[in-house]
Amino acid sequence: MQPEKFYYDNKIVRDFGIATVLWGIIGMTVGLIAAIQLYHPGANMHNQYTTFGRIRPLHTNAVIFAFVGNAIFMGVYYSLQRLLKARMFSDALSKIHFWGWQLIIVSAVITLPLGLTTSHEYAELEWPIDIVITIIWVVFGINMFGTIFKRRERHLYVAIWFYIATFVTIAVLHIVNSFELPVSAFKSYMVYAGVQDALVQWWYGHNAVAFFLTTPYLGMMYYFLPKMANRPVYSYKLSILHFWALIFIYIWAGPHHLLYTTLPGWAQSLGVAFSIMLIAPSWGGMINGLLTLRGAWDKVRDDVILKFMVVALTAYGMATFEGPMLSLKQINSIAHFSDWIVAHVHVGALGWNGFLTFAVLYWLIPRIYKTELFSKKLASFHFWIGTLGIIFYAVPMYWAGFTQSLMLKEFTAEGMLKYPNFLETTLQILPMHVMRSVGGAMYLLGVIVMAYNLLKTAKQGSLVANEAAQAMPLEPIHTIARESAWHRRLERKPIQMMVAALFVILIGTFIELMPTLTISSNIPTIASVKPYTSLELQGRDLYIREGCSNCHSQTVRPFRSETERYGEYSKAGEFVYDHPFLWGSKRTGPDLARIGGKYGNAWHFNHLMDPRLMSPGSIMPEYEWLLTQNLDTTTTRAKINGMRMIGVPYAVGYENQANTDLDKQAKAIAADLAKDHIKVKSNKEVIAIIAYLQRLGMDIKANKSTKY
Amino acid sequence: MNILYFLIGCSVLLALGFLGAFFWAQGNGQNDDLFTPSMRMLIEDDEKESDEKEPPIQK
Amino acid sequence: MIKSSVLEKTTCYHCGDDCTTIDHIVEDKHFCCHGCKSVYEVLSADDLCNYYSYNEHPGVTRKQTNKRFDYLSDETIAAGLIDYRDRHISIVTFYIPQIHCSSCLWLLEKLNKINPAIQYCRVDFLKKQLNIRYNHEKINLQQLVELLDNIGYEPLISLQDVIKKQNTVDKDNLVSKIAVAGFCFGNVMLLSFPEYFGLSGLEQTFKHFFGWINILFSLPIVLYSGTGYFVSAWQNLKNRVLNIDFPLALGIAVLFARTVLEIVTRTGAGFADTLCGLVFFLLVGKFVQKKTYHHISFERDYRSFFPVAVHIIENGIEKPVPLGKLGIGNRMVVRNNEIIPADAILLKGEALIDFSFVTGESIPISKTLGEIIYAGGRQTGEAIELEVVKPVSQSYLTQLWNNEAFTRTQDKRMQTFNEKVSKYFTIVLLSIAFATLIFWLPTDVRRGFAAFTAILIVACPCALALSTPFTMSAALSIFDRNHFYLKNVAVVEQLAAIDTIVMDKTGTITTGTVNNIKLEAILTDAQKQLVYSLCSNSSHPLSRIICHYLGNMDQLAVSGYSEVAGKGVQAHINGQFVMAGSADFILDCTDHSSARTMVHITIDGKYMGYFAFLLGYRDGMKNIAALSNSYDEYLLSGDQDHEKGDLQQFFPKSSSMYFNQSPQSKLDFVQSLQQNGNKVMMIGDGLNDSGALRQSDLGIAVTDNVNNFSPGSDAILDGKSFDKLPVFLRFAKDTIVIIHFSFFISLTYNLVGLSYAITGNLSPLTAAILMPLSTATIISFTSLATHFAAKKRQLI
Repeated sequence: MQPEKFYYDNKIVRDFGIATVLWGIIGMTVGLIAAIQLYHPGANMHNQYTTFGRIRPLHTNAVIFAFVGNAIFMGVYYSLQRLLKARMFSDALSKIHFWGWQLIIVSAVITLPLGLTTSHEYAELEWPIDIVITIIWVVFGINMFGTIFKRRERHLYVAIWFYIATFVTIAVLHIVNSFELPVSAFKSYMVYAGVQDALVQWWYGHNAVAFFLTTPYLGMMYYFLPKMANRPVYSYKLSILHFWALIFIYIWAGPHHLLYTTLPGWAQSLGVAFSIMLIAPSWGGMINGLLTLRGAWDKVRDDVILKFMVVALTAYGMATFEGPMLSLKQINSIAHFSDWIVAHVHVGALGWNGFLTFAVLYWLIPRIYKTELFSKKLASFHFWIGTLGIIFYAVPMYWAGFTQSLMLKEFTAEGMLKYPNFLETTLQILPMHVMRSVGGAMYLLGVIVMAYNLLKTAKQGSLVANEAAQAMPLEPIHTIARESAWHRRLERKPIQMMVAALFVILIGTFIELMPTLTISSNIPTIASVKPYTSLELQGRDLYIREGCSNCHSQTVRPFRSETERYGEYSKAGEFVYDHPFLWGSKRTGPDLARIGGKYGNAWHFNHLMDPRLMSPGSIMPEYEWLLTQNLDTTTTRAKINGMRMIGVPYAVGYENQANTDLDKQAKAIAADLAKDHIKVKSNKEVIAIIAYLQRLGMDIKANKSTKY
Repeated sequence: MNILYFLIGCSVLLALGFLGAFFWAQGNGQNDDLFTPSMRMLIEDDEKESDEKEPPIQK
Repeated sequence: MIKSSVLEKTTCYHCGDDCTTIDHIVEDKHFCCHGCKSVYEVLSADDLCNYYSYNEHPGVTRKQTNKRFDYLSDETIAAGLIDYRDRHISIVTFYIPQIHCSSCLWLLEKLNKINPAIQYCRVDFLKKQLNIRYNHEKINLQQLVELLDNIGYEPLISLQDVIKKQNTVDKDNLVSKIAVAGFCFGNVMLLSFPEYFGLSGLEQTFKHFFGWINILFSLPIVLYSGTGYFVSAWQNLKNRVLNIDFPLALGIAVLFARTVLEIVTRTGAGFADTLCGLVFFLLVGKFVQKKTYHHISFERDYRSFFPVAVHIIENGIEKPVPLGKLGIGNRMVVRNNEIIPADAILLKGEALIDFSFVTGESIPISKTLGEIIYAGGRQTGEAIELEVVKPVSQSYLTQLWNNEAFTRTQDKRMQTFNEKVSKYFTIVLLSIAFATLIFWLPTDVRRGFAAFTAILIVACPCALALSTPFTMSAALSIFDRNHFYLKNVAVVEQLAAIDTIVMDKTGTITTGTVNNIKLEAILTDAQKQLVYSLCSNSSHPLSRIICHYLGNMDQLAVSGYSEVAGKGVQAHINGQFVMAGSADFILDCTDHSSARTMVHITIDGKYMGYFAFLLGYRDGMKNIAALSNSYDEYLLSGDQDHEKGDLQQFFPKSSSMYFNQSPQSKLDFVQSLQQNGNKVMMIGDGLNDSGALRQSDLGIAVTDNVNNFSPGSDAILDGKSFDKLPVFLRFAKDTIVIIHFSFFISLTYNLVGLSYAITGNLSPLTAAILMPLSTATIISFTSLATHFAAKKRQLI
């Protein structure tokens, strides 16, 4: 038998590398613009397409799925081929995967500024794109498993296990979180409502972080770190152990994003418990990584790539320790909705994902171009400016989050809120927001320097598109006399065989029944809670389009400080018609769950036209376009039908009179505005959104009046 | 909150899948030697002639 | 002497040894010997020189090798070695001690480049094994091994490889069981939390749903992961033994039964999480207990020392025969560094037999024609021919081995503390349980059974079962770190229990190698140079030692050199007649005054004096001797008592030293001590003590190379840690104390649990908290305490 000669595909790796850098710069720039708007609203250039509410999702999507996503594929396509001693399964699939993924990102770049969003965080993209994502992800899966099947190395190195876990879990998560009912080409409603929708969303949200930002990167760490340090990983046993531990525990930690919400108490505590358990496997990985460098710290001193890795691992350790701490109810009550969380995720994103990606790029590009890195000086400049950037970003944000939360919770001796006006607390932290954007800018600068450095490196070398390698083909396992395949062992033990079968069957059938079970929901209903009127529904969709939920939450937690400020705390029953839920995860502005009836229509009108008229110093952008754009009522019918389909009890035939209803309510509001000498046609978008805002929390108030 | 049934179901199935994977690994002898692979992966077999001119062999 | 200084500088490109000559140089790379050079040539021929790029001097020195592998072409032998064989390919696994670095890995998995008939190679680095799949139509086993030998990786092929034992690839697939247990544990915990956190009225549906899922998850736990406990409990019952497994099995059964009952009858949430946790932790404990160290093998016996085949001469033609076929009257050929496998009479050649393996005596003994040479000696020097007088099976060595001491099974060893306690524990537990049952029955049957089951649940000795394995494995790894390798955890307890120490002399308390050679003569540098030049011509080990002792000198022209076998050497140098050799050779008078090995020197007939070769004692003998106030110490030596004087310092007590001891008499001595109720620890070297080692309650083999095999020993002590022995003993005692304490802790936990249980109202939550809590306490306590003890003893 002759050793087979074959070629590693470096071109695809290079392409993903370029995409990584490119999207990285774009995504971070968008982030910077968004950050500036948080103290200088004018930075939206008075253009709806570049306003915070719309580009914040763009930023998250760009850095997570474009920057990190491409980086993952770069790392996987490089390491997988070498670990398995085989070229990728199919060049065609590789290309489809690459271009498909870029297409998805481009479509995101187009649709999100247009306000086409599901409002599910990190899953904002609308249903047509969701479908494309699914397809491309499957393509990636076929390509990966195909390579695994035709591998020439029997043992699957631990990194590959992490890749597999990533693929499988993300697939499931994406599908479950994309159960949405299309009502038009680019508009859909989530099948689940309120609490249930929230639970699904955060089950997804949390695991997306776990299996998109963590496991693939751990896999890359286990491949690239030993390579960079040229020494085996500290303990291979430990790496295997912590892999299995990690994937079995991570799944359950989701609910910790919903503490103090109307999610059942035990479900919340569940999330907390499992989040705490997560420390063990997470730190297992970090320690294993850092100890790999034991006795090689001299290397670290003069190898910038290792420096990047060390910071990345440290950041990972910090983030994975902070995470469980944040899931402790007491801490969470302070941190949640505040900039603290922003700081937390950015330590992970900038430190762990960012720096590890940079290290891999610096290590990998010179190799596939058969040359040396163009400039070590620039690289270490990148390292230092990047590290400083992280510090300048994180520290002010921790500070801001902490300050604002405490201010919001502070009471006077008389038992009144010390800062009844939310805006006061915002103004207090603006300086920190300025510093944050500086930190971000520094980090971005570093990335741009890296881009230049890598470009020069590529220029001075030449790409080895197909790197030759040799390996023995893998002989079929049976030629090796192997005694023990587990199922054979089971067959020898009929009882256990039976149990195993029974077990799987029961679970399986049970899952079959799931969807039917989920249609009916046993959430305590509140009689006075009614579906939205057609105008309010349209207004709600505008609220979603403008991404208001990026800054305004819609759930009042059961703290005195919040009930004093906003009103009665939220009940699960209030949200039964909310497809999707709009609780939000950050309070840059005040909560809106009880905004209805708090101010007159005129106030809202003026506030939307120029927030600073009503509340001087506000950092909310001006929504002039709502005043000029006409409300699109052609969609009303479809929306009503859709809503009814997913369980909202609109009377049969309501879709026919929906628009007449809509006009009536709109005219009423317009008339009311006219009283305040505000001339506005009733068919403007602003009317709808005012209608929606005025509806928020009214049902429960009605409830009170009727002494229910 | 019936959604919980569904999520739990999904998670359990997922976990079961991974458990299956673990059994496969165990039976396949993936975990027989948990040291050598960490050294083996460091070894690069650098072929003398690697160039893009040569057409990649597909199989 | 510039030249010599230059010589000392250059090191072998292949193995890194000092080059003493300059005649092995290829492309400006120096090699210490032809062997190393040839390896380099082989590798460079197949451009595998990256071998040298991964590490500096990755090779292993190849100085003494003139092995012959033609016996491997013998079908019966080959068949014994090969793991798998079909029409085209064979698979074989070799043990290759030389494997030590990434270069080895790289090269050995690239054999295909050297010979395409080799299809697939896999190295197991820790086991130092190489698994090869090759096409036996193109290359046969012998060529394969020769190829390995040529590149410096000679497999260690021994009789034991041919007589393969069943390889035990953990039959009870513990890992899978742990995986299942862990999986179920995690999910059950998840589904039990709601119960503890309290479900609102509306969510009752969840409660039952979760309950059923819990039952589902407990099924694999009981029927797959937990089976081992039922089985062993049952077997022990059959043998009328009450061991810890009985209450464990009972606990598991009761837990499951009650869980199912409560959930089905909707009377409670059941104990599914406790059940899963229990089994999971128990299995983990078992796993820890099983932890073994790959880098030494206790399982090898004398067979792994004997060659697979010998060369015999039949009507003038030399041919290999399997050892089994070797019969009385066969005329066998034994070459340099080959073992004499059977007692035989020397017929031809100069026999210089190195018995270090048998007696620990490192200086070869020369035998004269017609003498009987016992099996186990290793010939040094030229090839010799001998006639077999006893078949292998009856030779001195194998007889020793076949002594009943070896056939005796291990379980006659002292009963471990664990076993003792668990017996009483079980009895007490059961009596309490039934007492409670009887107490309640008349008044309240329900509660009676509730209490009864509750007791069996909370008193389930999980922590108890874990304390020993966790403490022991912690201790074991600490010993391991100090080059003291214990066969299993039980040995630690034996180590703590012994009260008598019996030591072998040679190779045990003396270092295996000649480390001090005394020059009892006044020689000028010029004369030294004469002696150096003379001896450097001889290959005799003593001559080599003398040369080494005198250091690198210029060789002078030697004329009329002659070497008298086994007596000495003589030659004319610078017109002076120099002689070096034994007393009867030089002074033709055999002096029996001292049994020390000596080389006498005369120059021009003038007696100058002699070199004396002494075996040095291991450092730390002092501390060992100091043990004598807490232990009875004895010395058993195979040699004459000429060292008695020197040894007095270590063994002041009279009747503590015995000389001229045969292996058998050592064994008997140990036995007699044991009959007087002593717990005996025997410290000996390799094979000749193996009888005594096995007989003793605790046999420790001292060796300078842990890969030497030491049959019958419970522990292998690396020579360089010899001085730590007293510390080890003390540390072992600490360990036992720790175990006792952890037992105390876990029992307290059980008592706490009982206080709930007896009254019959044990909430699942209490159980679910107690069980992991106690486990966690035990694990952390034992590991921390052990660590601390080790620190105190300066073992870490």
